Amino acid sequence: MGPLIPLGQIASGWDFVIALLIGIAFGFILEASGFSSSRNITGVFYGYNFVVLRVFLTAVVVAMIGLLYFNYMGWIDLNLIYVVPTYINSMVIGSVLMGLGFILGGFCPGTSYTGIAIGKIDAMVFTGGLFLGIFLFSELFPALESFYYGDSLGSATIEDVFGISNEKFSFIFVIIAIIVFYVTWLIEKRVRKTVNPYKFE
Amino acid sequence: MNRNYILLMIVIVVLAGGLLFLPQKANYIQQDPEKLMWDIAQPTRYITTDEVAKMIIEKDPLYQLVDVRADYDYDMFSLPGAYNIPLDSLLTEQSDIILDVEDINTILYSDDDLKADQAWVITRRMGYKNIYVMKGGLNCWIRTIIQPKEPKETAPITEFELYKFRQGASIYFTGTEISLDAGEKKTLNVTRRKKETVAEGGC
Repeated sequence: MGPLIPLGQIASGWDFVIALLIGIAFGFILEASGFSSSRNITGVFYGYNFVVLRVFLTAVVVAMIGLLYFNYMGWIDLNLIYVVPTYINSMVIGSVLMGLGFILGGFCPGTSYTGIAIGKIDAMVFTGGLFLGIFLFSELFPALESFYYGDSLGSATIEDVFGISNEKFSFIFVIIAIIVFYVTWLIEKRVRKTVNPYKFE
Repeated sequence: MNRNYILLMIVIVVLAGGLLFLPQKANYIQQDPEKLMWDIAQPTRYITTDEVAKMIIEKDPLYQLVDVRADYDYDMFSLPGAYNIPLDSLLTEQSDIILDVEDINTILYSDDDLKADQAWVITRRMGYKNIYVMKGGLNCWIRTIIQPKEPKETAPITEFELYKFRQGASIYFTGTEISLDAGEKKTLNVTRRKKETVAEGGC
């Protein structure tokens, strides 16, 4: 039955329409979760607000378990799902850079657009920087290419690399997520006594 | 902590735990029987021996040949460039490597259609696409390509062209010369019609 597009249930001409609809839904949920506020986002690094971590972990957990049940019921074929290839070097460097940008700018690429949507000036400046970064990266790409594609694992999944079945891993991951929820809640409670807490209306 | 959160956490743990205890289902990828029946009834899976011969001669990179007979048969005689996957080892990993190549059409053949058709149904049920069967198998190959029969004199010109192609293919595959009796030239008596002269009127 699924995935709908690779199996031709939805013609590929609809790709852009679907991308637009998913984009709107994604932006709406980011904004509704309070992600258009950079204080909410950087709160993760200062320990007074872990809403980013919790929202994304919830999304991962729900999608993960949902997909596994869908796969079990035969509604979706997990083998046909696109898995982004893993490049160890560039992913490590990329995540460090992304984290730095995150803490300096207070946005990640997606949330900067939701910031613009509600008229935040810092988000507009951030997006300017984002485009500058994209431009520089594209210009430097020929020099970085071998590093960028270096140490490739292909479309690796946890099941392939560590040999843990998807079901077992998702159960472990859910337990970890719940522990993270609880620990971050404890940290927030402690830190918010000293730091003026941010309340979003 | 909010009671709703605790409730949601319990739900998600139960769901995740449930995954661990789901009974194993062996293979979900099943062809819809109705569709399979429909496909079996269609002659579109067949490729003629002439097409196969042409494809081998032209070294068409989009096709690969798979011999589904037993390996001793394969060793005795087979088509050039063919892989051997005996019917009983169709479900092994090695055959998967050969069959599961995107954009490559696989042509199955055996001595006749029977085994190749069986193999075709199995591969179809396994979910492979672009699988074809050489119509008539190797028996038909010998009959048409290796030892082609001359068509009757009254046969349409297309059959003569096919015959010529088969003769050429036979030389290609066996390396032996076949006497071509198209060499004799017949002299045709051409009688030209005389132009009728019409009285030209002046005006």
